[in-house]
Amino acid sequence: MRLKELLRIVWINIIQNKFKVVLTSIGIVVGAATIVMVIAIGRGGQMEVAEQFKNLNAGAIDISYELSADARESRQSGSGQTAGGGMERAVPDMGGGFPGAFATGSADSGSAGTFGGGGLPDMGNFEGGFPGGSQDGGGRPDFGDFGNFGSDFIMSGGFDMSDRMNQEQITLSEADVEDIEVFVPGISAVSISYSSRTSVEGGELEEAVTYTVAGVKENYAEMSNLTLEMGEFITDSNDENTEKVCVLGAQAAKEIFGSALDAYDSILYIDERPYVVNGILSEMGSVSSGISPDQAIFIPYSTGIKYIAGDNPNPTVTVIAEDVSDVETVIANIETVLADSYPNAEFTVNDAGSKMEAASASNDTLTMLLVAMAAIVFIVGGIGIMNVLFVSVKERTNEIGILKALGCTKKDILLEFLFEAAAISVIGGLLGVGFSFGITPVVERLQVRVELSAMGAVMAVCFAVITGTVFGFYPAWKASRLIPVEALNQE
Amino acid sequence: MKNPQCEEAGIDDGTMLRLRDVNKSYHMAQEELHILKNISLEVSKGEFLAILGPSGSGKSTLMNVIGCMDLADSGEYYLDGIAIHRTKEKALTRIRNQEIGFIFQKYHLIPTYTVMQNIVMPLLMRGMSYQEAAESCMDTIRLLGLENRMEHKPSELSGGQQQRVAIARALVGRPAILLADEPTGALDSSTGKEVLALFSQLNRLGNTIVMITHDLGVAKNASRVVRIVDGELQE
Repeated sequence: MRLKELLRIVWINIIQNKFKVVLTSIGIVVGAATIVMVIAIGRGGQMEVAEQFKNLNAGAIDISYELSADARESRQSGSGQTAGGGMERAVPDMGGGFPGAFATGSADSGSAGTFGGGGLPDMGNFEGGFPGGSQDGGGRPDFGDFGNFGSDFIMSGGFDMSDRMNQEQITLSEADVEDIEVFVPGISAVSISYSSRTSVEGGELEEAVTYTVAGVKENYAEMSNLTLEMGEFITDSNDENTEKVCVLGAQAAKEIFGSALDAYDSILYIDERPYVVNGILSEMGSVSSGISPDQAIFIPYSTGIKYIAGDNPNPTVTVIAEDVSDVETVIANIETVLADSYPNAEFTVNDAGSKMEAASASNDTLTMLLVAMAAIVFIVGGIGIMNVLFVSVKERTNEIGILKALGCTKKDILLEFLFEAAAISVIGGLLGVGFSFGITPVVERLQVRVELSAMGAVMAVCFAVITGTVFGFYPAWKASRLIPVEALNQE
Repeated sequence: MKNPQCEEAGIDDGTMLRLRDVNKSYHMAQEELHILKNISLEVSKGEFLAILGPSGSGKSTLMNVIGCMDLADSGEYYLDGIAIHRTKEKALTRIRNQEIGFIFQKYHLIPTYTVMQNIVMPLLMRGMSYQEAAESCMDTIRLLGLENRMEHKPSELSGGQQQRVAIARALVGRPAILLADEPTGALDSSTGKEVLALFSQLNRLGNTIVMITHDLGVAKNASRVVRIVDGELQE
């Protein structure tokens, strides 16, 4: 039989059984829609990752400190009693004998301990700006001599410190930034920043709204590839003078003042203190050092530490490696330098490359999960097709007998049923593609980025046809093998 | 369609159908049912033969063997010079399409097709296009008075009309032989008479017809009647 005539017969059968065809194809509809959405969500995820990291310097390394869980608990239970127990920072380049002199910072003590550890060689390196002060005292007392230094350091009392890392509150400081700049080779920039969620008032806001407020240095903008729409970014001068100025992310400016123009040079109240808006960032759409610049408010680092950070700021030191391939070496060197300063601390070090890889891997995992789901849906849909075709063969056994009596070949009968299965699948595939286009706005409302593509639609229809044909083959083959006399006499 | 390899020397050109000692048995459970017993039969070209027999006599099995839908266990069967007993399934399919026109008691029309689509089906199986097939069967359609029913579905026709469609379908391929299995069995007597008159007309036009029936009145319309009783043929 000619292919055209075979297809005509298939078409007649489909038209005569429209409702059954639609019901049969439901599994395929869902499968095809899933394939389209899997590809679209996968693409959306990839683009999201790409956009999030587009301004991220691949050589960026973030260093932060986190207190161990038991120390956090202990500090919480002992809060209110802590006085001067915090080990803020050890002196870099102290020489061999000094580590044992670090205070463990007994939370319940508060009393000055004795400085029992041998001598302190090279004390001339010790700078007056040493971060000290008690946990509740804040500030950075300018100890002029080492005698005062002793009051901040308490002896360990003899326990093995190597087993008890991250027991003390450590605040990374500008001194650490300087250490890294001096002692770590292969870096192009270092900066320190901190961020907190702080209430903001002013502009068109009817009530206080919480925003991410980031205390940053002048070089933060360059390191994070931030660009300004108007005004200027935080300057060293702002920072040195602890000025209450701020730079708004594009989205934040729009939300608080209505527009960038209205925001510029306006007054914004951050934690109930007035700040002058010195600049507005361009729309960035990316995440930098864990901060979404579009929705953040940037203030000078020192201003943030003084007015917003509170007693336990947790700054992040960001280092840019000159060569991306040297990131691991740079990280190792940073850890060495910091270990010198804080022998009992382990820092959390994240590099941008790892973040990108992690985000990409996470996206890949999600995609694989969705692909697996689509495969299962297709198998279920295929079994549905097979089931319906078996029923169809059973129902049409007499018809098959007639065709065989009239001289229809096994091949023609096989092809007729296979084409029917394929046609049901194509119809299901096309309906599925249409369905996926229809539900895309709904999925997008759920904050899932969907990037529909022609390739996804074509793949879905191809998968549908393959599924229908594969699962339709066996019933079709069974139909073609029917014995004419038996089939003809089947009621 | 004649296959030289299957042609048997000595077969008279005037013989359309020859059965020699044909046997057919079926295995039911553990019992063997011997349905056709040493059947020998010759039908000449242009003959109208009726095979008369009661229910269970084996006439339908004989019809299936003659119609190449079932093969005999033993014996020889020649159809228009072709040795059917030595023919493979694929060739039998072609023989059914080109040499035999089937007319069934229950019409066996495909319900989802129109009258025209049912009638052209044997021609489509030969590789003709629908257009070609439709054109070539117009004479047959006119002969059977179905011109105004071509786009109807079988369910929209009377029993007699459906049987006419079935006859048209059997005729369009210009087969060597028409095989009719109880062609009037599902029709009322007047419609049955019309169909039988049509058979006589087709026979006069040169068609070889083998009709199976249990009804002597129907069988009398044929030019020759043979009886089948318990699987044995009696002239």
